[in-house]
Amino acid sequence: MRRAVAALLLLLISCTACAGEREMPATIYEVKAKHTPRFLALPGVVSVGVGRDAGGVDVIVIGLDRARPETQASLPTQLEGYTVRVQIIGAVKAQ
Amino acid sequence: MAHDLDSVRAALVKSRGRLLPQTNVVATGVGYKVTRGRKTDALSIVCSVTRKVALSQLAPRDQVPSTIDGIPTDVVATGVIRAFQERTSRHRPAPGGVSIGHRDITAGTLGCLVRRGGQLFILSNNHVLANSNDAIRGDAILQPGPVDGGSFPGDHIAALEDFVSIAFLEPPSECQFAGGVITLLNAGCRLIGSKTRYRTVNIQATENRVDAAIARPLDPTLVKNEILEIGAISGLGTGSLGTAIKKSGRTTGLTAGEVVQVDVTVNVQYGPGQTAQFSDQLLAGPMSQGGDSGSAVLDNNNRLIGLLFAGSENSTIINRIEHVFSELGLTL
Repeated sequence: MRRAVAALLLLLISCTACAGEREMPATIYEVKAKHTPRFLALPGVVSVGVGRDAGGVDVIVIGLDRARPETQASLPTQLEGYTVRVQIIGAVKAQ
Repeated sequence: MAHDLDSVRAALVKSRGRLLPQTNVVATGVGYKVTRGRKTDALSIVCSVTRKVALSQLAPRDQVPSTIDGIPTDVVATGVIRAFQERTSRHRPAPGGVSIGHRDITAGTLGCLVRRGGQLFILSNNHVLANSNDAIRGDAILQPGPVDGGSFPGDHIAALEDFVSIAFLEPPSECQFAGGVITLLNAGCRLIGSKTRYRTVNIQATENRVDAAIARPLDPTLVKNEILEIGAISGLGTGSLGTAIKKSGRTTGLTAGEVVQVDVTVNVQYGPGQTAQFSDQLLAGPMSQGGDSGSAVLDNNNRLIGLLFAGSENSTIINRIEHVFSELGLTL
């Protein structure tokens, strides 16, 4: 009986561990949302969005007001498995 | 028998005084006669009409004769010919795509007509109809906008009804305690010769999703439920990556583009020291300039997908129409 209970407990624990492993990876939107505040705090960053590269793959796009070598150097090229691209879009103004 | 150009012109000059007053005739000229859809070699006197009507339904004096001085005539339906109106001029009824603005601003674009509680309203941006929060319900809305010569009361077309307030980033703090601490810190900086100075700011919820406002036309007949060079809106749509879009605006007219970014968080400048952050925006390539703010953005099936409000030299920023409609309680 004790053995049966122990086996059942082991089974439950291993199932829980498996469930943990099967957890869905964060979507590009979740990753973008998580990192947006720190990107927008960098000098010259005006936008953060989700775009698509030439191959049809979704990427995180960071917009700059002008060329900003220091900011560009501090930005990652990959974030939790997603590609990060930098674009100079210019200062955004109400029109 | 084919006639030469001079003789046809002479016949036209002689007869046009009689032709133009006829019902439906809007223009006369010289052109090759078209028979059963094919251009012939015969020069004719062309009468342009608003629409073709069976001879039996026309009074004899309104019938275009089949020949004039032996020269054939040709009746062509061209519709009503209107003088081309600038988007910055006065339009009554005013369609979407023309100049409009609160009496204290320059000018923006009349987006389109929307409904709330069964009533008709003009949709545009807060910074076009509500002077970037600095307005009250009932304020005069002019068409065209003031910078395009619109004045009160002659061009008064609507009254501000409602707007979604824009939360601006980091206004100076009015907290006295923080102000005292900052004064001490800055005094310390001066003492040690540092050029760094501190300032207080308010940290508050500053997320915006729309720059939107509505105005109530003084009379429903002053506005037209279609958009210049686009026509009627067919319904509501959703902008996604790759959606082909178009807009009709006061400054750059009809332009087209594509949604190249979604879920965009963007800092937008509203003037010196005034910045507001917007989330869940659509971003397209350059398709607008100052004065296009407030333009309705549609997909290729004429479904309304957004409200244009900002841009840079390489981008156009668009509110999702879903947020505009839910925050102001609107329907089409």
